[in-house]
Amino acid sequence: MRIHSFESLAARDGDGLRYAVFLAGCPLRCVYCHNPDTWTHERAQEYTIEQIAKKILRCKPYMLAGHGGVTFSGGEPLFQADELYQLICLLKQEGIGSCIDTSGNVPLTQKVKDVLEASESVLLDLKFPTEEAYYQHTKGKLFLVTEMLSYLTQNNIPTRIRTVIVPQLNDSTEALLAYARVLMPFKDGISQWELLPFHTLGFEKYELLGIENPLLNTSALPDEKRLELQVFANSLLQK
Amino acid sequence: MDAWRSFKTGTWCDTIHVSDFIRLNYTPYEGDGSFLCSATQRTKDLLAQVQELFRQEQENGGVLDIDTDRVSSILSYAPGYIEKGKDIILGLQTEKPLVRAVNPFAGFRNAEQACTAYGYKISDKIREDFLYRTTHNTGVFRAYTQDMRKARHAGILTGLPDAYGRGRLIGDYRRLALYGMDFLLQQKAKDAEMIGQQDMCEENIRLLEDIAKQTEFMKQLITMAEQYGCDIRRPAENAYEAVQWLYFAYLGGQKEQNGAANSIGRITTFLDIYMERDFAEGTLTESQAQELMDDLVLKLRLIRHLRTPEYNDLFAGDPVWVTCSEGGMGLDGRTLVTKNCFRMLHTLYNLGPSAEPNITVLWSEKLPAAFKKYCARVSVDTDSIQYENDDRMRPEYGDDYAIACCVSAMKEGKQMQFFGARCNLPKVLLMALNGGKDEIHGTQIGPQGKVFPDNEKLNYEEVLESLKVYMAWMARLYVNTMNIIHYMHDKYAYERLIMGFHDTVVDRLMAFGVSGLSVLTDSLSAIKYANVTPVHGENGLITDFITEGDYPQYGNDDDRADEIAQWLTEFFYQELCKTPTYRGAKHTLSILTITSNVVYGKKTGTTPDGRKAGEPFAPGANPMHGRDKEGALASLNSVAKLDYACCQDGISNTFSITPDALGCDDDDRSEKLVAVLDGYFSQGAHHLNVNVLNREKLIAAMEDPTLYPNLTIRVSGYAVNFNKLTRDKQLEVIARTFHSKM
Repeated sequence: MRIHSFESLAARDGDGLRYAVFLAGCPLRCVYCHNPDTWTHERAQEYTIEQIAKKILRCKPYMLAGHGGVTFSGGEPLFQADELYQLICLLKQEGIGSCIDTSGNVPLTQKVKDVLEASESVLLDLKFPTEEAYYQHTKGKLFLVTEMLSYLTQNNIPTRIRTVIVPQLNDSTEALLAYARVLMPFKDGISQWELLPFHTLGFEKYELLGIENPLLNTSALPDEKRLELQVFANSLLQK
Repeated sequence: MDAWRSFKTGTWCDTIHVSDFIRLNYTPYEGDGSFLCSATQRTKDLLAQVQELFRQEQENGGVLDIDTDRVSSILSYAPGYIEKGKDIILGLQTEKPLVRAVNPFAGFRNAEQACTAYGYKISDKIREDFLYRTTHNTGVFRAYTQDMRKARHAGILTGLPDAYGRGRLIGDYRRLALYGMDFLLQQKAKDAEMIGQQDMCEENIRLLEDIAKQTEFMKQLITMAEQYGCDIRRPAENAYEAVQWLYFAYLGGQKEQNGAANSIGRITTFLDIYMERDFAEGTLTESQAQELMDDLVLKLRLIRHLRTPEYNDLFAGDPVWVTCSEGGMGLDGRTLVTKNCFRMLHTLYNLGPSAEPNITVLWSEKLPAAFKKYCARVSVDTDSIQYENDDRMRPEYGDDYAIACCVSAMKEGKQMQFFGARCNLPKVLLMALNGGKDEIHGTQIGPQGKVFPDNEKLNYEEVLESLKVYMAWMARLYVNTMNIIHYMHDKYAYERLIMGFHDTVVDRLMAFGVSGLSVLTDSLSAIKYANVTPVHGENGLITDFITEGDYPQYGNDDDRADEIAQWLTEFFYQELCKTPTYRGAKHTLSILTITSNVVYGKKTGTTPDGRKAGEPFAPGANPMHGRDKEGALASLNSVAKLDYACCQDGISNTFSITPDALGCDDDDRSEKLVAVLDGYFSQGAHHLNVNVLNREKLIAAMEDPTLYPNLTIRVSGYAVNFNKLTRDKQLEVIARTFHSKM
């Protein structure tokens, strides 16, 4: 599998104490991406399924103590659904549950469905609430996300929705209302709608990679603002 | 009043056996910290006075005042108080708080230099007294060989206790509270009688003299306590007296000795027994119990020794290491956690975060969940405590051991340690590549050998063969150096009172240490897996290396690198064991640098791992800064692979993580930290320092110390007030890996 990096302690990507694997390659080009180095396979390293499983299992004592598991993120982990499915099954046999952190911007093939069903939970990004905005800021398609969300809720796979809030782009209650309209039909299958603050920690990477950073002049979202919007978002979904 | 009323009797009644007393009488506590009380107004008033004194001390360049007229001993000073009438637990080292005593027994010149450095002059009277007296330092230098002097001068062996007290002892001070001094003196008399019936070999003669010295000073302690109005000939009758007696015993040792890291031991559960009895008798409230602990801790925070600036260069922040160990499990399967363990931790809230006492939690998988979580919360809030693996140490030391200094375990009152600082391993590698010459000054330090040629790729097997030769040479020289030091320390600076609180016949541990383990590991890995070519300088010695290609680095849970680290510790330990020790001590080894990793780095040339000359090493057993690329747990896993069996003096690891990387709020962070500790220690790992803070906060504190006057951080086996570090060390701490992945 093509891997960007491993992070043995990822406390905030899913429930409990987690091991995160960042897979290389992504179909999207989000303006606020903080991992532009995962877009292509250029900087990726090839690992076998067994090699990855071995690394993860070395952290089993922590994951068990911390009621966690492994989170596959990226890039877009579902780009490598075939191998990912095998890896998840292997880990499952060893008692380690998996969480998929996806943009949802992949066609819902049988393999993708297999991965989702074998996972304990899914972190699904809802990046923008209309096709136009979605394409404008990510170069992706919203309908793929809603299709996946529909599949996840129908199959009772625990799903957390995540939205990055960027100052001046979507940091208003009006913007959140539009998101809520997309989510409403699937409300009962969504365990949480989490707003993530835009931060500038990935800026260096743009410079290093020589990629133009479209949000160079945007500052990080203040924590008070995020909290205020989170309360509003919770009220919208009555969560 | 019967001091032992309502205690369950056992063998402890007839012979000194504190752990038997504890086992029969303590009350394990499985609950949480909701019973704890905040500081009383009295405590707050006293704390304010102490904080003002700390401020003045800092303002005055680190030393408030020195009493240069007298030589420190148990009876040199009249009673001292913070504020008479407000103090509950009585006793200061000198007559006023923070006034430092002069203690030249381990080395006169050292004491004199320390005075001079702070603008004081040793009185003529003291100078004259010591003209006719041999100090430990004089004795050592009479016997040191040329090889020892050279190794010491080159900085291969550094921090040796040859000019100050060796420290690292833990008297069983609880004995004074439980038995009273009369009983302890009777026991010493019995020991002398028994030894007196044997043949007078050298060891028995020495033991008889030891007992006589101990007895003399134990009697002096009675007089010291009398001056404070306390009769310690009898056992303590209640919780207040138990704390007071115990503190007197510890304080007496600190007056007599200036050794680094004479620790206070495992005291909280012992004291809890007295508190529970007082609760049952209706003579103590929870608030009063907390006040006793708060006041004890205030006194412990005032302990000071007079040090030279060079000493502070090695061990920054003016540490004393009043290490206080607590928690752990009993051999009978019950937890040794009591309410009083919580009270000790709670002093960090009532009195604010602090480096002293060095609170050490003995961690077991089976500790009560509520205690685990409370400890983790204290770490998240204060960065002031450290953790050591009880499940790993209990099989070696039983359930009544404590930690001295940072990571040195010993059975309380039954084992003592010959402290041996550490040896600079990367420098030994550079010697092995330079034919036994010091890479900086070109002096021949070790046996003459081959200089690895200029511009020729290093061959791993050849380097390894040479390294083995020099490590073996180093190990033998190190043991022999230590033998001289401790022979002389016993002869000229014997710890009369502290050893009085030990069994007469004690087990001895000789504690060796290494620094730069990760630098040496990565250097060898680079030579093995990448291409390393030495570059010679003008003097024909290697001054630089060209390292091409990637190589596996220690700190990424990669066996290829980690096995090198494992092998190095095992090999060096085996080599140490080949040379016999003074007084039949057991060889032990630590991987601990305290803050000396900065000074060691300064004295070491460029190494094959890519570290440039003069750059700091990583502390203790930590991977090098920034090289642990797969996150916190992979880094912990690498360190966990080091085998405690060959490093029984401890394997120190410091873990720094930003709050955001650990969890979303303090509650979540505490839970995750518990999981990290459980996961790490379940693999047999030994020690973890925990810091939960942002690098930005440290930078802000460095620029403006007044922003965070009490900012405490864990460094390597102890905590320091960040503002007391030199700029060099502040920068090094800031450069360390902060696990920050979000």
